[in-house]
Amino acid sequence: MTLSNFVAAFLTLCIFSFLYKENPFYRFGEHLLVGVSMGYAIPLIYDTVFIPYVYRPIFLDHNYIIIIPAVLGFLYVFRYSKNLSWLARYPIVFGMGIVGMSVPMSMHSQVLVQMKTAMLPLDNINTILIFIGTVTILLYFFFSKAHKGAYGKVTNIGVWFMMIGFGASFGYTVMARISLLIGRIQFLLGDFLGLIK
Amino acid sequence: MKRQIPLMIVMILGFLFVIHTFVPHKISADFYDWWQEWAKAISPFAVVLGVISLGMVHGTKISRKAPNWQYSLVTVLALVFTAASGFIWGRQEGTPYMWLFKNVQMPMSATMFSLLAFYIASAAYKAFRARSAEATVLLIAAIIVMLGQVPLGMQISRWIPDISTWILNVPNMAAKRAIMIGVGLGMVATSLKILLGIERTYLGGGD
Amino acid sequence: MEKRKMTLVQRMQQLDRRYIYIVIAVAIIIPLLIPFNTKTYVTEPTANIYKKIDSFAGREDKAILMSFNHDASTMPELFPMEVSILRHCFERDVKVFTLCFMPQAAPLVDYAINTAKEGYDVTSGVDYLNFGYRPFALQLPIILGMGEDISNALETDSEGRKIENMEIMENIRNYDDMNLVIDFSGSASIQTWIIYARAKFGANIAAGITAVMVADNYPYLQTGQLVGMLRGLKGAAEYEKLVDIFAAYEDEDYPNGRPYSQEILKEINVPITADKIIYEVTNEDGSVDKISTNAEMKYEYKKARIGMNAQSVAHVMIIVFIIVGNIGYFLTRKNKKLG
Repeated sequence: MTLSNFVAAFLTLCIFSFLYKENPFYRFGEHLLVGVSMGYAIPLIYDTVFIPYVYRPIFLDHNYIIIIPAVLGFLYVFRYSKNLSWLARYPIVFGMGIVGMSVPMSMHSQVLVQMKTAMLPLDNINTILIFIGTVTILLYFFFSKAHKGAYGKVTNIGVWFMMIGFGASFGYTVMARISLLIGRIQFLLGDFLGLIK
Repeated sequence: MKRQIPLMIVMILGFLFVIHTFVPHKISADFYDWWQEWAKAISPFAVVLGVISLGMVHGTKISRKAPNWQYSLVTVLALVFTAASGFIWGRQEGTPYMWLFKNVQMPMSATMFSLLAFYIASAAYKAFRARSAEATVLLIAAIIVMLGQVPLGMQISRWIPDISTWILNVPNMAAKRAIMIGVGLGMVATSLKILLGIERTYLGGGD
Repeated sequence: MEKRKMTLVQRMQQLDRRYIYIVIAVAIIIPLLIPFNTKTYVTEPTANIYKKIDSFAGREDKAILMSFNHDASTMPELFPMEVSILRHCFERDVKVFTLCFMPQAAPLVDYAINTAKEGYDVTSGVDYLNFGYRPFALQLPIILGMGEDISNALETDSEGRKIENMEIMENIRNYDDMNLVIDFSGSASIQTWIIYARAKFGANIAAGITAVMVADNYPYLQTGQLVGMLRGLKGAAEYEKLVDIFAAYEDEDYPNGRPYSQEILKEINVPITADKIIYEVTNEDGSVDKISTNAEMKYEYKKARIGMNAQSVAHVMIIVFIIVGNIGYFLTRKNKKLG
């Protein structure tokens, strides 16, 4: 048991203590986590982003045009200012322009490719079921027509497909949550107490 | 003007990007290189936003001696100390900076999320009720998928992993595909609304 | 009698949640303390990633990219996947690059590489290369930039060295060569790779994802937009097994690992306890292979499989909770109707 492991285990237990009830140990851990996480990002971004993309081009490569985006970036600072917050819009919109690319690309990957593979020959029960499921759910999300009568019955089939889909997601969600807890208990029992080999 | 100029920039850049996607001309490639170089130079400043926001929240609490202000002091001290340690002693393996990350940040953020396992267990007992036929189908699908993922499922019956795989590949796939198509169209619509200046919430409040 | 029975049901319904917490904790602790061997069944989406990586073995003109898109919170599921894939690459001499777009992921990349490379004679810049951290704002420019020229899009590695002239970069220019990208994440970040790297450059994309995201990504598997998918802790356990049985396997006939074989995979299970088991496997051509398992496997190499034992018990407990909770609910409802 090293000091490092001891600290990590103590802080792990601080967070777990919340399960009993809210208490000062948990609050201490929570606030420490927020501070360390943010403090951690600053030198990392300075070294790996500011130096190579701002400092080096301007001061070492003398590419002075980079001063303009650097000033644009600096305008972020005014985000919380009462009178000058509009200045912070400039760095935001510069990055936002790329959504222009997402229009054709999302259309391709999320819609067209999915539709193409949904149009397989209906030669076995599974492809028929997939076809029925996809179509009825799409109809279910079509809100311009009231879900009544025969149309309501068709969209209701979509609901059953969705319930199975949500059930599958739910089963996997349980799995994921349990896995994360297993990881922490493996740390406490294995790395900290040395009981797992 | 404070809103119009930024909206114009989004519109112009956005449509240049639409063109760039379809036209592999040199001018189009040069435009992209220019944008990329500038985007890189803008990006490091975003972290300043986070620091300012955190500083404002906790700084105010400390200066006003609000209830539990001592915890805010913990956050601010931890932030300053971690950042300073990275600048003073470097970021390599074995430095105080990396020690803090490995023994403070990592275990606590992992534990935070692991709490969800307890909540989902409690919800399984108290909230997941077969109140209707639809909810029953959801629960049965969930139980089969849960069993299908663990070795025990196969030991109970070799059908369990097979049914679980079928659920995932057929009804689940159909459901998720339909939702994906819907979300995809939604994304395209939102992107177009941004490009055309109809969606403006990202600009923030004010005039 | 009826009254007492109902109070029991009511008490069951109002059970303090902390008892449930204790039960679930115990259901996880005991299987971890007392390990037992269970069979890990390898599924197709996992095997497809393995086969794809294995097809790059020993090739100078092929490489894979591992994108670490997660922080420590999802490490229990994703870290064993990353270690196994790195181990696979080191065993089979596959060039591997790593990259991350989250500040918190940067040390995890080093941690995974350091864990996996122990015992292997591999060098940074020759066998593997960590491109390091790039800010999230640059994710798209970099994903797109790598489609043209990787050295140009990234310029330097995690240590600030120019990557252009490094030995590992020989014959590796864009996604045509770095022909498999595996994104590890607990979010929908895989979509960015599919929408841009796949659609624009035809890159092969695979996902190592937390179980939460699994069901949502099935449509991508069917369309082939994803080559394969490692699904939660089970996916990690499956990959650990594949590496043990094939890539890391050593005997007189196969000194440098053995090729993938469905027959062997079906038959063999590597025990997580320190037992040496000798399997006799009949191949398609009728020949018989004797295969012995490694009894002294490192803890890091079997961590996901150890975890899966606890996962089994915990799942059963959750199912019991759902059933008992519903029995209580129906008894209460029936009683309300009666009286």
